[in-house]
Amino acid sequence: MTRSVLIVDDDPFIRRLIATTLEDVAGFHIEEAGDGVEAVEAARAKEPAIVFLDIDMPRMNGIDACRALRALDGHAEAMTIVMLTAAGPDAEAAARAAGADLFLTKPFSPLDLLQLVDSLGA
Amino acid sequence: MEADLVARLEEKERQLERYAADLRETFKAERARTAELHASYMATVRALANAVEARDAYTGHHAERVAAYGLELARAAGLALANDPQTEFGFLLHDVGKVAVPDAILFKPAPLTDEERVLMERHPVIGWEILRDIDFLGDAKLVVRNHHEHWDGTGYPDALAGEDIPVAARVFAVADTLDALTTDRPYRPAGSFADARELIAAASGTQFCPAMVDALGAVAEERLEELRAGIA
Repeated sequence: MTRSVLIVDDDPFIRRLIATTLEDVAGFHIEEAGDGVEAVEAARAKEPAIVFLDIDMPRMNGIDACRALRALDGHAEAMTIVMLTAAGPDAEAAARAAGADLFLTKPFSPLDLLQLVDSLGA
Repeated sequence: MEADLVARLEEKERQLERYAADLRETFKAERARTAELHASYMATVRALANAVEARDAYTGHHAERVAAYGLELARAAGLALANDPQTEFGFLLHDVGKVAVPDAILFKPAPLTDEERVLMERHPVIGWEILRDIDFLGDAKLVVRNHHEHWDGTGYPDALAGEDIPVAARVFAVADTLDALTTDRPYRPAGSFADARELIAAASGTQFCPAMVDALGAVAEERLEELRAGIA
């Protein structure tokens, strides 16, 4: 079965950038969502292995979305959630408190992104 | 609203700059690695070629001279393979199979018996077998295997004729003979480049590919002298 990666960011440019970077890596199927509400729907339907979640989004921000994802039945624990944050210890702490496993600081390095995916055994 | 738009544009710009910076660094590292890899390939090939030559005091630096002549001829013939590192690898390693030829045969000061000749003529195939699994040598292995083929099909080991002989092996055969004729041997002193050219030209279309003999004709004698002097 092809594993999915869900990319959640309100900026389609950032979604495209992550998708393009991960394309052809480990044959992931790539899903995108534009805000927290869409993300929860997509996660329920696609059961992604990894979720990249922007912290700052309209409608439902990354912190709330992260909590909602962790509250999903069944698949919640199997997901690795990577929070896309601004630089700074506050953002990291908030991401961890909301249940994110890892975080990636914006602007992120494509090499760090790839290394992170590698480290997840993808 | 406008301030928000500006902030978002700036974020995109920073993100793109980050990608560009990483791309630049990756590219730089990749180029350094490629150069390093090529240098270690070359060092490996030279070490192997030198190990073969270390046995034979008479031919000292034969492989390097022949490689230099061969590349010069390939350029004169307008062959693209002149710029392929594999070509030089093949030239340097052409006689690697001689490691399996006994000293008594390799250094025999008299003509070989039929039996000895059979053993001697196995060196291209042995060399090819030694190198067979080394991927980076690619077509270099064809030079090793086929450098004793003759244009008229009377060579060995595969008795290939004409254009069935790999082109690098054809150009090499001329360079190999050129060096053999212009270096001292236990049984005769070195001949001149002019004499060597004449002898090679006489074998055009029989032993040698005519196009490669023509290429030799197009290289000035001073250039050959220069190449020889460049090899210590």
